[in-house]
Formats: sequence, structure tokens, C-alpha cells
Amino acid sequence: MDMFSNIALGLETALTPINVLYCFIGVFLGTFIGVLPGIGALAAISMLFPITYHLEPTTALIMLAGIYYGTAYGGSTASILLNIPGTSSSVVTCLDGYPMAQQGRAGVALAMTALGSFFGGVFGILVLSLFSPLISGYALSFGPAEYFTLMVLGLIAASAITEGSAAKGLAMVVLGILLATVGMDPQSGTPRFTFGTLDLMDGLGLSALAMGLFGISEVISSIRTKNDEAAPASARSVTMRSLIPSRDDIRRSWMPMLRSSTIGSFFGALPGTGPSIASFVSYAVEKRVSKTPQRFGKGAVEGVVAPETANNAADQTAFIPTLSLGIPGSATMALMIGAMMVHGIHPGPKMMTDQPTLFWGLVMSFWVGNVLLIILNLPLIGLWVRLLTVPYHLLFPAIVMFIAIGAYSVRYSAFDVLTVAGFGALGYVMRIFAFPAAPLLLGFVLGPLIEQHFRRAMVLARGDLMAIVERPISGVFVVISVLLLGWSLWSTFREAGKRKLLESEN
Amino acid sequence: MPSIDYRDAVGGALLVALGAAFTAYSWMHYPLGTVTRMGAGMVPFCLGVILAIFGGMVLFASLSREGTFPQIRVATPLVVLGSVILFAVVIKPFGLLSAAFLATFVAAFADLSFRPLRNAALATGLSAVAYLIFSLGLQLPLPLFAWPF
Repeated sequence: MDMFSNIALGLETALTPINVLYCFIGVFLGTFIGVLPGIGALAAISMLFPITYHLEPTTALIMLAGIYYGTAYGGSTASILLNIPGTSSSVVTCLDGYPMAQQGRAGVALAMTALGSFFGGVFGILVLSLFSPLISGYALSFGPAEYFTLMVLGLIAASAITEGSAAKGLAMVVLGILLATVGMDPQSGTPRFTFGTLDLMDGLGLSALAMGLFGISEVISSIRTKNDEAAPASARSVTMRSLIPSRDDIRRSWMPMLRSSTIGSFFGALPGTGPSIASFVSYAVEKRVSKTPQRFGKGAVEGVVAPETANNAADQTAFIPTLSLGIPGSATMALMIGAMMVHGIHPGPKMMTDQPTLFWGLVMSFWVGNVLLIILNLPLIGLWVRLLTVPYHLLFPAIVMFIAIGAYSVRYSAFDVLTVAGFGALGYVMRIFAFPAAPLLLGFVLGPLIEQHFRRAMVLARGDLMAIVERPISGVFVVISVLLLGWSLWSTFREAGKRKLLESEN
Repeated sequence: MPSIDYRDAVGGALLVALGAAFTAYSWMHYPLGTVTRMGAGMVPFCLGVILAIFGGMVLFASLSREGTFPQIRVATPLVVLGSVILFAVVIKPFGLLSAAFLATFVAAFADLSFRPLRNAALATGLSAVAYLIFSLGLQLPLPLFAWPF
């Protein structure tokens, strides 16, 4: 079978010592950063992004991916012990995780989270390896018009479904595409928006943009001028013995694990939705099907297992559109695509046949990573818990330093570091006006591709805009895009009511 | 009394201005071309218009509901951004360790507590970490110290 030779090839790549080492570094840093409240996967990946410039492409991606799903593991720890979600996909975990910690069952909650995460991750990988080849086989026939409309659809979906106003998300996508036009126009050679400086000829760097928007502005907003809160008592009371779940816990958890894996895999693969939405939905479903819904919110083990299983499954299936179509469904995936492009790899349907070692090596490294994570998380949980007690005033100068050195090391250019500062300022201003930064990054990564495919499609169609709509596949994408755009803009004007509803749910 | 969400009103207006600026600049400086053979200015020109439209929607939606304007902190962002800029200025002429020390020393003041000794100790420790990770670990060819004069 072809499948088995692919898996064998992938395992061979993923199990080389250097790749296992970087996979370990990735999941270790991911867990580390996920545990720290306030720093999410995006900030983590953008901070460590420049380091991967100096690695082999496969190794670089294995490490970045490890950081990505590692944060999902780590994020739950802060949720359970402190009632502060470490990442946005662990928000729901607080609902039952913290009550469990208060009842002295923090160890069980952490252990079941690790098991559920592992189960969800493995399930997601299976879905990923089954569906990616199918989708990319289908996408091989796509021309510029199809790619253009598919990317537009992806961008609209991703910005329209994010929290807050759809008009703001869409505006940020457009701003991202505009920022991507800075530099030399690839088709005519005209420098655009460079204002005469050579520094801007190559365009703005993705790593500088990401580190400024997500790293620096994150640091600025999370510095509390009077912090130094004492660590909570429960943070120190997690022993190995307290990790062992009772038979009842296991019995209650395996069905939620199965259901949540399915839910997570579905929402992870859709553009725009992702681990956060998957965790919300799976929690709601478990509460609905439970015979004892009144236990939810008071420390039900299902309420911890379900969201954590779902968000890990979603983390894996988010790679389906990214790897098989080259279209990222979230800002984190956009960074992954950016990392591939830095190494001259263009993700898309051809990648699976042109770069089988990279594709299957990456997918198989997810298995390795998930095994490493469970080894890291169960025995070492005490270490992670102690991390929560590190005060932020020791941490943020370190983050600033890593960002500055990282930005500089990409091209040894001081201008890149200044760009980081510029985007840090922009990110802070955007936070003030509640403009989401993730759509901007998506637009920035997809911008050059969209422009290229659009101009190529127009040349092919001799300037006839209707030609895009008349082709059957791109026509369908256009119709869905228009419907989604109309629906999301309409709901912008009713958003005040929707926002209240979400808040009452939290 | 009309209720206005001032945060979104100002934000929307800024987007409109930004979109208009992109459109005007590409119209004045770059060839637009035709739809079949687009010039360098065509795509930014259109995107500027779209940005302004979305900004207008944000502005329009803000006029009919109430909102609070968020508190804007001045000192913390300035200190953090300043430390990054300081790093950019220092790294080439003075080397990695000087830049790392100065940037972390300044950044540590961002929580608005005045503890120079603690910050100096922290900066020393972090510079050592920077040396271990970037020079020893990743083998980046960064000069540790330099003196331009």
C-alpha cells in the first residue's frame, strides 16, 4: 500500500536524532510558554520563528509545529490551577478544572487533561493523514482563478468568524495585504511604498511583523504596574500520587474523548474556526448529552477532558488546509506557511508529491511530539506548576531581549529590529481600538499570493472579471464568499447583542 | 442624547484615512495600468478603497451604540518600545552583550518600579543567557563586544 510506504518514509524522517531533538525542544518550549499565562501560541511561535531560519526546513517545521501543539498542552495547567487560561483554547477548561483543583483533585484534572490531549492529538493526526492526500489530489486541477477565490474565501472566513466585529477583522485583512505590497512589485519591478530607502526594497519581514504585533504588544499589555501576586496554595500541592485518576474518572471520560476528538477535528480543519471554538462546542455538547448536566461547572471531569481533547485534535487538523492547499486557516498556520516560504517551499497540492519527506516527516513528527508531551507532562507536572510562580517582572525583559536578538539574527539588520518596534507600536494602537491582529497577519502572508493569482487570472481572462465567476469551482467559492461576507457584515451591526451573549456564557 | 462608541468611531475614522492615503499615494506615484495588464499601483489602489469602506462601516456602526474608551497607558509602551529601539541602535557599533544588557536593563523599568540594582542584576544574567543560547548554542556569528571609535 502507498499509505504504508508514506508512513514509513515519514517515520524515518521524524525519528532521525536531530529531528527528535528539535521536536523535543519545540514541545518543551511550547509547554513552557503555554503554562505561562498571557503568552499564547502566536507570540511563542513568532518569538522563536527567527531561530528556525538557521535550521533545515523539515527540522524547522517540526520544531515550530511542536511549539504550536505544545502550548495547547501547557495552556490547560494555568486554567486548572489558577483559573487563568494560559491560552485562548483553554478558557473553557477553567469552568470545571478550577473547581476540581479547589476540591483537591487538581492532580486528576491535570492527568486526565494530558490523556485527553494525547487521545485528541492522535485522532487528529489520523484524520490529517487520511484527508490531506484526498484534498490535495482534488486541488491539483486548480488554476489562478480558483486559487484567488479560494484564498479570498479563506480570508473572509477567518476574519468574519473571529470574535468581535467582522468589519474590523476584514479591514485588518486588507491592511495586511496592503502592508505586504511594500517592496518591489514582482511583476513590474517597481518599488512600492519604499519611500526611497533600500531597506524596504525586499518588503517588510514576516518575522518582524509577527514579533512586533504579537510579541512586543503582548508584553506591553500584560505588564501590570503593581503585580507580584502570591502564588496560590494549590500550585504547590500537586504530587505524583495525586495524579492517578479513579476508575470512575476513566469511565466517565472515554466517550467524551471520542466525541470531542471528532468535533475538534472538524472545527480544526475549517478555516476561521479553530481550537478555541472546538473547545467551546465540545464542552457544550458534553453538557447537553450528559445525564447529570448539573455537575458541569462544579468540577465534572468530562468538562475538563472534552475541551482539552477537542483543542488538541483541532490543532492537528488545522494542518489539513495548510499543507494540502497552502491556505492557512488561522494566523498560527499563516506563520507556519511563512516559515516554509522562507525555506523556498511552497505549500500546496504539489508539496505532497514533490516533498514527501517534508510532508510525511512533519505529520509523523506529530506522533513523536505527542508521545514526548505525555512523557513531559505527567512526571514533570510539578516543574510546570512551579513555573507559574515566576513573577512577570523577571520574565518580560527576557522576552524583549529574545525578540530583539531574534529579529536581528534573521539578516543581521538593525533595520529589522526597528521594524519590530514599529509593529509593536502598531499592535498596541490596534489593541486600544480593539482591532484584531490575527487577520492582519493572515492577509500579510496571503497578500502576495492573492495579488499574483489575481493578476495572472486577469491576464488569462483578458481582463474579464466575470470569467472568475463563470468557472464552476471558482464560481462556487465566489458565491460562498459573498454570502459569508454579507452575513458577517450584517451581524456586525447587531454585534452588541451577540457580545453580551458570549460574555454571559463565560 | 446620542450615544456614540468613541473607540470605534475614532478607530473607523483612522481606517478611512489610512485607506485613502494608500489609494492617493498609489494613484499619484505608480502606474495603474489596465485590468488585463495591471500596473504596480492597481492592487494597492483598490485595496485602499476597500479598507476605507470597511473603516466607514466600523465608524457607521459606532454611531448608534454606547461604548467606553479604553484607558491608554503611555509610559509602559514607551519604555518597552524604547528598549527595542535602543537594541537596534547599539547592536551594530557595540556588539551583542552591550545591546542585550542595555535593552533588558531599560525594559525592566516598564513596570514603573524604580529598582536599578535589581534591573542591573537581571540584565547581567540575561546577557549571559543570550551568550549561551545565541553564541554558544546556535553558533550565530555575532560579535560580543565592539567599539566603533
